[in-house]
Amino acid sequence: MTITSADWIGRRLAFGALLAGLVLSPARLLPQNAKASGAKGMPRTADGKPDFSGVYEWPKSDGGDRCKCSATVFDHKKFAPFKPGGMPFFEPPTGDPRHDEPREFCMPAGFPSGMLSANAVQFVQGKNYLVIVHEFQRMTRIIPLDGRPHRTEIEPTYFGDPVGHWEGDTLVVESTNFKRWGLDDYYYTDRNQYRMHSDALRTVEHIRWLDGKTLSYQLTIDDPKVFTAPWTQDFTMALHPDWDASGLYEYVCEENNRCPGGKCKGE
Amino acid sequence: MKTSSVRIVSFASLALGLALGALPVLIPLPLEAHHSFAAEYDDTKPVKFSGVVTKVEWMNPHIWFYVDEKNADGTVTHWAISGGAPGQLMRRGITKDVIQPGMNIMVEGFRAKDGTDNANGSKVTFPDGRQVFTSSQEPDSKKN
Repeated sequence: MTITSADWIGRRLAFGALLAGLVLSPARLLPQNAKASGAKGMPRTADGKPDFSGVYEWPKSDGGDRCKCSATVFDHKKFAPFKPGGMPFFEPPTGDPRHDEPREFCMPAGFPSGMLSANAVQFVQGKNYLVIVHEFQRMTRIIPLDGRPHRTEIEPTYFGDPVGHWEGDTLVVESTNFKRWGLDDYYYTDRNQYRMHSDALRTVEHIRWLDGKTLSYQLTIDDPKVFTAPWTQDFTMALHPDWDASGLYEYVCEENNRCPGGKCKGE
Repeated sequence: MKTSSVRIVSFASLALGLALGALPVLIPLPLEAHHSFAAEYDDTKPVKFSGVVTKVEWMNPHIWFYVDEKNADGTVTHWAISGGAPGQLMRRGITKDVIQPGMNIMVEGFRAKDGTDNANGSKVTFPDGRQVFTSSQEPDSKKN
């Protein structure tokens, strides 16, 4: 699909309108004005939906695999069996830094890998959109909640194409249309286990409040080119009002990247 | 550049030396998520040096600061040290004012694999004994 300059300008205007709407929306006043629902103190928006607006720690999981890095990684015990003859999941380093360390060139971590990076995550929720901004690389996911279908005829992406809908008090976000890319940071633990998802990846996030301070963040990996079945891992995300007060910090990787191609060198 | 993998250069202050001597010898491995620590730095080559901060680059994706170490033979080693992302450090209360040019600091970290005077700095100790961890995450984190 060819994107014209008019399309691009239109999208920029639409994004500006979205942000303005979020700022001006009564829901943005929450959670201060939220009515608590029962004993758990779950904040809600003016239209009665759970309100996830706030700043959180990145998803964490008790037990399971640990990374020799600061990020969360998936637990291999959660994996479904690999598909016989399917696309390779583990991909050893080739010596080409553009393959082995693409982020050293400030390439995006993508989703879900970037979501598990050890940085603050801000949720900004309106009636029709949930915007998730991760401090690492300032990655931004704009998730429509208005019932629209996935976009079609766009090139595969690093972050996928998300759409969300409510199932009771749980927000369900399905993302499709990914590029083949690193699934998580486990290769920092074992350089021969560079975990790759395929371009058939579909992710499903189930987000709900456990209490007024903690989100349940469940992530399902459905990658039929790699696995025989979808598999799921549960995480939690801790609300940090103190981080909300300080706000997210800027992250421009290109600003002073002294490790291009994995070759770090000071001045 | 010196060839020894571990160097300890005491501060002029005897009191500080005694204080540091009482500290446990623990250099946490840096927890870098987006920095090729495994490729670039050698976790079997810890370094420990002190000197004067000459420059601080408080920028993404990782902070860098530079320390001149005076050697016994009168030469000066120019160290370049990388740390965590500014946002990660500021969220832990470590601001750019913590390390400033002209300060006398001790740095513990790990030397670059290529043997140059580049290091990944895990811990910075100030003359008054205060310490900050300049890697991506606190070393005592229970998760990840």
